[in-house]
Amino acid sequence: MTDRSITVNGHPWQAQEGETILEVAARHGVEIPTLCHDPRLKPAGACRTCLVEIDGWRRLAPACATPVTEGMSIVTENERIDRHRKTLLALYMTDHPQSREESERGAPDQLFDMVARYQAPSDWGVLENKRQGRPDDRNPYIQFNPEACILCARCTRYCDEVESVSAITLAQRGSETTIATVDAESLLDTTCEMCGGCIDVCPTGAMAEKIPLVRGDKPERELEKVRTTCNYCGVGCQMDLNVDPDAREGQGKVVKVTSPPVGTTTNDGNLCVKGRFAYDFIDHPDRLTQPLVRGEDGELHPTTWDDALAKAATGLRGVTERHGPDALGFVSSSRCTMEENFLMQKLSRAVFHTNNVHQCAAT
Amino acid sequence: MAGLVTTFGAGAMTNSIGEIRDADFLFVIGSNTSEAHPIIAMEMKRAVHRGATMVVADPRAVWMTTLAQKHLQLRPGTDVWLLNAMAHVIIEEGLVDEAFIREHTENFEAVREAVRKYTPEEAEKVTDISAEDIRWVAHRYATTERAGIYYTLGITEHSHGTDNVYCLANLVLMTGHLGKRSAGMNPLRGQNNVQGANDAGATPIFLPGYQRVDDEEVRRKYEESWGVALPPEPGMNLNVMMKAVGKSIRGMYVMGEDILLSEPNVSKLEEGMNNVDFLVIQEPFLNETARYADVVFPSAVFAEKDGTFTNSERRVQLVRKAVEPPGEARADWEILVSLANACGASWDYPNSASVYDELAKDAPRFAGISHERIEESAEGPKSGLQWPCPDPNHSGTEFLHEGGVLRGKGLFSAVEYRPSEELPDQEYALLLSTGRTLYHYNAATQTRRESGLVAKQSDPFVEIHPKDAGKRGIASGDLVEVCTRRGKVHARAILSRQVRRGCLWMPLHFHEARANLLTNDAGDPITQTAEYKVCAAEVRSVEKDGAEQRYPGSYYAMNGPGPGAGGERRS
Repeated sequence: MTDRSITVNGHPWQAQEGETILEVAARHGVEIPTLCHDPRLKPAGACRTCLVEIDGWRRLAPACATPVTEGMSIVTENERIDRHRKTLLALYMTDHPQSREESERGAPDQLFDMVARYQAPSDWGVLENKRQGRPDDRNPYIQFNPEACILCARCTRYCDEVESVSAITLAQRGSETTIATVDAESLLDTTCEMCGGCIDVCPTGAMAEKIPLVRGDKPERELEKVRTTCNYCGVGCQMDLNVDPDAREGQGKVVKVTSPPVGTTTNDGNLCVKGRFAYDFIDHPDRLTQPLVRGEDGELHPTTWDDALAKAATGLRGVTERHGPDALGFVSSSRCTMEENFLMQKLSRAVFHTNNVHQCAAT
Repeated sequence: MAGLVTTFGAGAMTNSIGEIRDADFLFVIGSNTSEAHPIIAMEMKRAVHRGATMVVADPRAVWMTTLAQKHLQLRPGTDVWLLNAMAHVIIEEGLVDEAFIREHTENFEAVREAVRKYTPEEAEKVTDISAEDIRWVAHRYATTERAGIYYTLGITEHSHGTDNVYCLANLVLMTGHLGKRSAGMNPLRGQNNVQGANDAGATPIFLPGYQRVDDEEVRRKYEESWGVALPPEPGMNLNVMMKAVGKSIRGMYVMGEDILLSEPNVSKLEEGMNNVDFLVIQEPFLNETARYADVVFPSAVFAEKDGTFTNSERRVQLVRKAVEPPGEARADWEILVSLANACGASWDYPNSASVYDELAKDAPRFAGISHERIEESAEGPKSGLQWPCPDPNHSGTEFLHEGGVLRGKGLFSAVEYRPSEELPDQEYALLLSTGRTLYHYNAATQTRRESGLVAKQSDPFVEIHPKDAGKRGIASGDLVEVCTRRGKVHARAILSRQVRRGCLWMPLHFHEARANLLTNDAGDPITQTAEYKVCAAEVRSVEKDGAEQRYPGSYYAMNGPGPGAGGERRS
């Protein structure tokens, strides 16, 4: 890696060969706004909000897609850039939902943040949004709201470059350009694996989670995020359970799952179909809510904790008394926590005096 | 796991997940990564897009083969032949890392002798992989600096599973692909906390932190800590225990597993369950095993409790309570404490963090880890702590065996090929393998309660090659009966060139078509892991269905996976 000397807003900085202006700026804590950038994806220069002025260049250049060169002198804020950005944001707003409430029924819409941040005009009139959606798509999870789309193509690029299934693509031309599937098929009938990465990368909520929308859950900004570890495979993805604490009479309900920011955890902002969507089981009506014991009639009956614990203790001890400690077998679980596995083997060894304990994934 | 401990001194991924993207050669064997570990698959895809070479060895044309430079579609159960032949080539071509072997290993000569007869030409006859491909893969693996091996249950769920692991370890040791970034040997763990369950001592041989129960010094330490005498003899492992159910095992305590869905050859196990005096289970849902339970404790799920899971890369991470459990359900750890106390113990743990502290206190590998430290790390570039982490100032270990193998010397193990226990014959002419799909998880108690996943994959199915189907008059979508010497189940036939001719493949997730009524409980002689991947089977049509059936995961057409974003299939 060779060093490059550059100047940004008058400050002399060192950068490395191949780094983009956006990357160098981020490293130095200088904010350049962007809607289409994602560190996992190749630069696209699609949204044009990151334009900067480079000494000697006639036109403004996208910071996300411009690698630094030796001696480059860059300005990230001035009147010209500001004017350009205001125009651009105002244009984005003309065929976009006009209020945050209307647009943000699910995920936050960063376009509104940016309009507010840069005081872009919002009175340029409203154009009809001509992008086609797939209202009849029967896939259970992913909804495309074409009116909120700004064509930054983060979703299609993620689908190509990260998930590598290329289920969605940019289609049509001009103002009719949209995010589409082949022959407008349902995502269920495409190569889509329902990872939901398109939802996660979308800056405006145009790609959205269907179920919370259909159910009429609270929008994301009103939910509490609880960081936890996924309970499916052994990758250990970190994820944020988005909880509505008032639901279920104050017991709380997991409304949806979002991934932590790129670069902060092992999963690097990615989740799979199970991690992102498969959590209906948490408050499923089939859940057991009371201890059960088998009665004289051979059926399981609800009982109190004290009764169930006493019966379990008596039953297990009875086996030990009749047949010795090694007549007991303890099956622990690779699905439970470290702490629970520790206690299970301690129960087996220290309380029932047998080493017949194994976790379930051993066969 | 046993294989890895024997060879290297630690049973875990030697690299971290984040290192995969920088690998230059990926040898993926017996792992349907994009379905079983989708996030690791994304890292592999990233490596391939960067220019890495990926080779996938699998009897099925799994999705990852669409991005692979080569797909070695070997006959199921012939891994030892393939891997020994690769070792043969590496030795023959003088590609071994002599210095590494000298300094860091022992017993290489035995392997050199053993693999002499495993020539690629002979291997071709057994494995159905061309000698040319075997040479090419062996050469590329040995000569690429950052070469990693990734495997899953397709390697271990055989009656010779430990042999397979030894063979892979031999390749790693003879090439010195160990103790550096992006080069090593990586078992991808199937359950969220399978690593942690082993680490915590939920095994018949080891107390927490892989300290043997038959080591007197270890036992004395724990007897002192816990204030009780401990049994000195190793206990039964799960496979032995399952076979002893109703015989020498007369009482059971089962937490968080549906043994009657997940264990092999379940009809035999059900017979045994009838002779069990007392069974306690601890579950969030009623399951098949509950039919035999005397007491059922309702337990909380992961979103309702605090604790830690340890992932495949040895990273201990926090599980945090987000919502309240329904009704009177309680966290598993709370139930265990209550039960111990109901049996006369006096356990006192105010929270799960205090349980972890006790675990860490006597297990040197985790001694530096605590809930508090993990909480602090959440703000860092990567959350969690990777063991070994021996003291509170240690920052954890990204990849193992740096500067020397943990065991002291990496142990080469000479392995001879043994055929699978039960191979196809006249009566049962097909070879059945079982596995997972992307859309469900194990016994599917969680995923089949998820409407969306059910929309994607609702019913049990079996993949069959069109030629085998044609011979039996089976059309795609027919309801068929799959039978083995142990049992039979019904499923929809999916005609697919994903499977080899002569092979069947079934997912294990569906309780109405329990694949484990079919599977063979023949165990590996060392680990007793059952042969879920190979048994003899036959199939016949029981009900015609006019409608052409799509693969219920949709991306597989009749001819196997289509081209991925990486372009056309290259082999």
